[in-house]
Amino acid sequence: MGQYQEQLNTVFQALADPTRRAVIGRLGRGPASISELAQPFDMALPSFMKHIHLLEESGWIRTNKQGRVRTCAIEKAMFSTVDGWLADQRALWEDRTDRLEHFVTNQKKDTQ
Amino acid sequence: MTLAFNPELDLTISRVIKAPRSALWSAWTDPTKFEKWWIPAPARCEVAQMDLSPGGAFETRISEEGGAFGPHLSGCFLAVDPQERIVFTNALLGGWRPAENAFMTAIITFKDHPLGTDYAAHVMHRNNADRTMHENLGFNDGWGTVIEQLARFVE
Repeated sequence: MGQYQEQLNTVFQALADPTRRAVIGRLGRGPASISELAQPFDMALPSFMKHIHLLEESGWIRTNKQGRVRTCAIEKAMFSTVDGWLADQRALWEDRTDRLEHFVTNQKKDTQ
Repeated sequence: MTLAFNPELDLTISRVIKAPRSALWSAWTDPTKFEKWWIPAPARCEVAQMDLSPGGAFETRISEEGGAFGPHLSGCFLAVDPQERIVFTNALLGGWRPAENAFMTAIITFKDHPLGTDYAAHVMHRNNADRTMHENLGFNDGWGTVIEQLARFVE
């Protein structure tokens, strides 16, 4: 339980700031570089980077550096963490049943 | 036995699968077949124990990114009715030993259907602290909406 609780705390701490919410909103439309993301904010780059680091550490976004440009993208897996506890379990069992169905129907074809 | 359905804690997946009941039963009870669908690729599944009898151990292990196999599910079968029903829980381990992290009981049923097999998984969960935590954070109102809007962005 402790691990899940900690994870949730981090997740929500990350959302409790308007700059970080705006960054997530922007990344929802597609990946962007740090400079693009920072542009709308009247903020020194090191302060902005603190927000980026926090979002990355909490799992909301991931970043990738190519040459001199660091690109950020939203981490879609995060949404399943927060999108309802039972919905998670349901998705897990739905997927599991999909794979079972795929396995037995393909297997049947193989043996025919 | 009638099953009381608690919409806050239970879920049921029910599906007609176009394959004979024997094929589904075999996919569930033959470890080499079971390993092929239980865990989503690219992660790999290993059946460490599958003692198909009441009190028998049921343990699967997972390997991600080619690493060593680690814990996945550790549980115990409660009922095994050939070709009809498998009941297991992670509230107990093999030999009915109480487990540390009790969480759920699953009832898997297989019935003949004109198109193949009527397959169902009925899963009951513990009213655990994770869930309470989830609700205390206000998922049902404010945060839920925020998440929904964010989710719409990424979909």
